[in-house]
Amino acid sequence: MTAVAQTSDRTPAERSAPGWLVVLHQELHDLWLGGRGLVLSFAFSLLVGIIAYLVATNTDLNFLEQRESTSLTLQVAIAVGGLLTLLVAADAVSGERERGTLETLLLTPASRRELASGKLLAALSLWFAAFVITVPYVWFLGHGVGIVDEALVAGLAVGTLVAVFLASLGLLVSCFAASNRVSLSLSLFVLLAFLAPTQLPAGAQQAWAGDLLLRVNPLTAGERYVSKIVVNGHNWSEDISWLLSPVIGAVVFATAAVLVGGRYIRLRGGVSG
Amino acid sequence: MTRHRALGLALVAAVVGVLLAPTATAAGTENVAVTVAPERISTKLGGKFAFISTITNKGGTDARGLIAHLNVLSLRDGTYVDPEDWSTNRTRYLDPLVPGGSTTITWRMQAVNDGDFGIYVAVLPESGAPVPPVTSPTIHLDVAERKTLNAGGIVPLVLGIPAALGLLALGVRIRRRG
Repeated sequence: MTAVAQTSDRTPAERSAPGWLVVLHQELHDLWLGGRGLVLSFAFSLLVGIIAYLVATNTDLNFLEQRESTSLTLQVAIAVGGLLTLLVAADAVSGERERGTLETLLLTPASRRELASGKLLAALSLWFAAFVITVPYVWFLGHGVGIVDEALVAGLAVGTLVAVFLASLGLLVSCFAASNRVSLSLSLFVLLAFLAPTQLPAGAQQAWAGDLLLRVNPLTAGERYVSKIVVNGHNWSEDISWLLSPVIGAVVFATAAVLVGGRYIRLRGGVSG
Repeated sequence: MTRHRALGLALVAAVVGVLLAPTATAAGTENVAVTVAPERISTKLGGKFAFISTITNKGGTDARGLIAHLNVLSLRDGTYVDPEDWSTNRTRYLDPLVPGGSTTITWRMQAVNDGDFGIYVAVLPESGAPVPPVTSPTIHLDVAERKTLNAGGIVPLVLGIPAALGLLALGVRIRRRG
């Protein structure tokens, strides 16, 4: 983020705005007008489009009931949308360090917490873009069985919680990581670890240990909730306990990223830095 | 002699008690009748529906400790049915039924798969006694319309959205260079 350092370029409105808002504005400018957000969104739309096309046309997958097709596409969108926010957040601080722009950023009047907040919110914008891209696919797959509204509301709620959780995690890692490569690798590894329980056989998922693992993991718990709403047609409150870990994960990690991570936005990476 | 008679009476009473005990337990299900209404239900995939079951005690003593359990299965091979998805409240613990008394249960369900299905209610004793459960007649459930997607309709979306985003990204890139 280079523009925030150019305080003389800021308009009077920007000068009076809170620091986090200025940081957010500049981060959004860099992310979207810099082209990175659009390229990631393009890749996301390709992936979700391929998934939607496959569930709609492939004969091997056509056994899927329409609700399941909608749920599958929505769950992919949530997972990949979360991945995008994780990638951007994991680059937020360590990337600035390596590009040599962190020093000027630290010289701005914005506090460390405001820097962390602004970067976190900017990373979340990718999820909201991903969600907007997903809407037409969900409409196409779900309108025949009248589940578009439920699917979109559940997807937005769960996807936002998952995105906040992953973006906060990525930002924390980025604050502490010694290099950008470490930050990105570690973040991706953690994401894969969170996705691993989805590969458990059905029997293991139904056992108490498997069930517990799915419930404490914000990703799997959130996606299970979406499935309950979209596929099983349950009402919102029936399986609300599945939202416990996504809510806790989002709140705890977002707080930690802003309060703790912000303190570690330093010129040198690493815990001891 | 009196002691022997008393002992004999006690033995007879014990034997009679033992012999009657299973009968008393079995009376919990043997004298129970289960009926359901309606006999046939037609709905659409995802449709919510309900039916009632009536459990009647036809015996001369109270029927206690009964459990009614709902089950659903596909009448055609090849359809996987998870009853938990169809109803979230499939087991009901019944209050004691007086002789001639009955209780009515409303079962609410949702059609999760399409096809032909059988639904029935079984009543069994909570004692776990090895007696056959009493089952209701089968309700024939017909879930219509397995919707398949018009695959051709998604092509414009699959091509159009990435194309629009790609053009937007290209435009931003050109504008930045300009």
